[in-house]
Amino acid sequence: MNPATSTIRRRLSALALAGVTVAASGCTVANSGGGGYDPDTLRVVLSQEPPTLEPCDGSLTSTGIVVRSNITEPLVERDSNTGDLQPLLATEWEQTSPNEWKFTLRDGVTFSDGAPFTSEDAAFSINRAVNSDLSCNVDGYVFGDEELSLQTPDANTVIVGTTEPDPILPLRISFVEMVPRTTSMTEKVREPIGTGPYAIQSWDYGQQLNLARNATYWGEAPAFAKARYQWRSEGSVRAAMITNDEADIATGLGPEDGAGDLGVPFQNNETTALRIFTEEAPLDDIRVREAINYSINRSGIVKAIFRGLGEPAAQLIPEGVVGFNAEIEPWPYDPDKARELVAAAKADGVPVDRQIRLIGRNSQFPGVTETVEVMQSELANAGLNVKIEMMDTAAQLQYQLRPFPDNSGPFLALIQHGNQAGDAAFSVDQYMSVDGAQSSSGTPAFDEKISAAGKLIGEERQNAYEQIFADEPNEIAAMAYIAHMKGILGKSARVDYTPNPATGDEMLLAAMTPAASDRTDQS
Amino acid sequence: MFSFVRRRMYTSALPLIIVLIGVFLLARLTGDPTNLYLPESATADQRAEFAAANGFNDPLITQLIDYFKGVIHLDFGTSLSTGESASSMALRAFPATLQLAFATMLLAIIGAVVIGCWAAYRPNSLADRFSSLLSMTAASIPDFWFAITGVWLFAVLMGWLPTSGVDAGILSWILPIATLMIRPLGVLTQVVRGAMVSALSAPYVRLARSKGASDFRVVTHHALRNAAAPALTVAGDLAVGLINGAVVVEAIFGWPGIGKLMIDAILQRDFAVLQAAVLLTAVSIFVLNIFIDACYALLDARVREPAKV
Repeated sequence: MNPATSTIRRRLSALALAGVTVAASGCTVANSGGGGYDPDTLRVVLSQEPPTLEPCDGSLTSTGIVVRSNITEPLVERDSNTGDLQPLLATEWEQTSPNEWKFTLRDGVTFSDGAPFTSEDAAFSINRAVNSDLSCNVDGYVFGDEELSLQTPDANTVIVGTTEPDPILPLRISFVEMVPRTTSMTEKVREPIGTGPYAIQSWDYGQQLNLARNATYWGEAPAFAKARYQWRSEGSVRAAMITNDEADIATGLGPEDGAGDLGVPFQNNETTALRIFTEEAPLDDIRVREAINYSINRSGIVKAIFRGLGEPAAQLIPEGVVGFNAEIEPWPYDPDKARELVAAAKADGVPVDRQIRLIGRNSQFPGVTETVEVMQSELANAGLNVKIEMMDTAAQLQYQLRPFPDNSGPFLALIQHGNQAGDAAFSVDQYMSVDGAQSSSGTPAFDEKISAAGKLIGEERQNAYEQIFADEPNEIAAMAYIAHMKGILGKSARVDYTPNPATGDEMLLAAMTPAASDRTDQS
Repeated sequence: MFSFVRRRMYTSALPLIIVLIGVFLLARLTGDPTNLYLPESATADQRAEFAAANGFNDPLITQLIDYFKGVIHLDFGTSLSTGESASSMALRAFPATLQLAFATMLLAIIGAVVIGCWAAYRPNSLADRFSSLLSMTAASIPDFWFAITGVWLFAVLMGWLPTSGVDAGILSWILPIATLMIRPLGVLTQVVRGAMVSALSAPYVRLARSKGASDFRVVTHHALRNAAAPALTVAGDLAVGLINGAVVVEAIFGWPGIGKLMIDAILQRDFAVLQAAVLLTAVSIFVLNIFIDACYALLDARVREPAKV
């Protein structure tokens, strides 16, 4: 044999052997955790990995669904079914003066590292989330520009002061998760310490997050000793993990994902709508905006695209949120009326032929593409010139949040709004006030109504917001509501759990228990 | 041989730099990440502060120079999304992609050599038709459809394999590799078949047969070695595609690789992570190309030495 050929062969053989060795090195994938089935472990599959578990970003869905009331806890918690505030780390709270609220803390609470939870920690946590330079999402979502003052007269009392009277301060405080005062005030933390029923055991970034029961938890120990989060971006794969007994809970499923009987529909807080940019013709003409509302076949969309998982919407918030007006009916589907309105506007010189951009976000909710296509067709039938533009999240947010891009032209932004807080103030301020972060319309007179409603409590507050929702179609008409959405939660037969409207934002692991049948029988 | 490799390194460095500059500029054309990272009601001051803190207010050329300065000091920046070092995230994800790519290419090459040789040895036979069918199928099946169908069939319906993830040992590899392998297998099979048909009709093969060499020896020792060069070229191109990140497969099967990392970084406008991931894959492709060229040079002396006039 030729020596050169022999050398080449030896080298290539060695290379192949090295390849086999690498590929088959225990068949363990780099960056993987491994592990088998454990009946004491609750297996949850999410649609995306939380970028961080920073508690002050807990109002971000991907972070909050893991961290809120699982790893960290707030002083008070809102019952998503009743809307009432429940004691958690605070046992009592009261408004001691127009601008001050006093919270009395629970005795005997410790963080998972063993440090006691005191009023110093509570004040630190609120100060960190609201008054720091951390740009916490909770700050922007719940408190806006508000600066809070904090006092700790004793170890069990914290007094929160506001610049203006705030009747729903305890509700806002329910978004602030408590962390030890040793937490960084200048940098966000990715793996926090909290007082919750679980603590972080390990986080194999990109692969899985493991929680273990917090041995020092002040309340009743959760049923499952451990919880393991994984994430799969494909809904059909998440559903298959449920049907294939690889996961106990799967979030964010659509009706077409194939979870079958293991998919549990539930009312969530989300409402879909078209937000109309009223500053550009032809959308600055109220007849065109009314025509858009008459053009949308809400019942048809809910039935055909959402497979019945939703209800036609007449306002921005669903039933159960303070301020919901049960008297308002959705706009009727009346394409003839829509054509008449567009024709009348055209006759008055409104440039209805001008192209309107219909901007949607990819994968925002199941059936989003079909929804956009149906609406484009309906608006075209009414005589409007509408062009669909589907974007990724970052690009779409430029049209959802102020300041909008220059020279954007007339556009309709398909939005999905979730009111996590259970109070209309968190929706109306953003979408209907002149300076609202997600508002493209508004009037000073309407702003006064919004401001006045925000200062009320109880039935007066309810009535004031009801009136705002009743007046909006007549005074502003910048929204075309589509549907109050329902979600689907994949749930294996091994687990007992009833999803609630907050499940998509804050999924309490402690509320999940093994099903009556022995879990190990099914493994 | 060393001088050959050195020459190839010099000629490959320029494309690498161009790729980095291109990614840097294109990433910034995709839009402002501020809305993704600040609260919805962030004030103008908060937005300005965020932009200043991350250098987004600087002229593009200044940002680019700062980036290259960082690269020289092995500082690739920090992820906006996680706060982690971008290089740590890329380095953590890359081995999983490499493993998957290597296993896929190894199996694809073995399969293509066996089927391609068989098809070339017996033209118009059942094997030959099978190889053609395989190639056409590979060219026409979307990997997304193949992956989802595989999950439904082998995981949900039959229960033989896990749907996804990397926890089930060798079973975790089967669906991802099958999905990734189908296209390279089809392409390589046709390349091997074509090269082998030519090789088997060459004079040196007839000579070998006339000297009494067995069919097996003729195919494996004489024809295949000469047919290897074109197959190696195509295999190299296909491997580059896999190293670049098997995005669909990684996303569907929850494979913790660099393709998924890059897609997430693009969607999150996480520029530092995107740049670190692209740099890592570009360097790997650069190394792979040199390796392929070196293999070429080993197989063919004409490649090793520049032509002498």
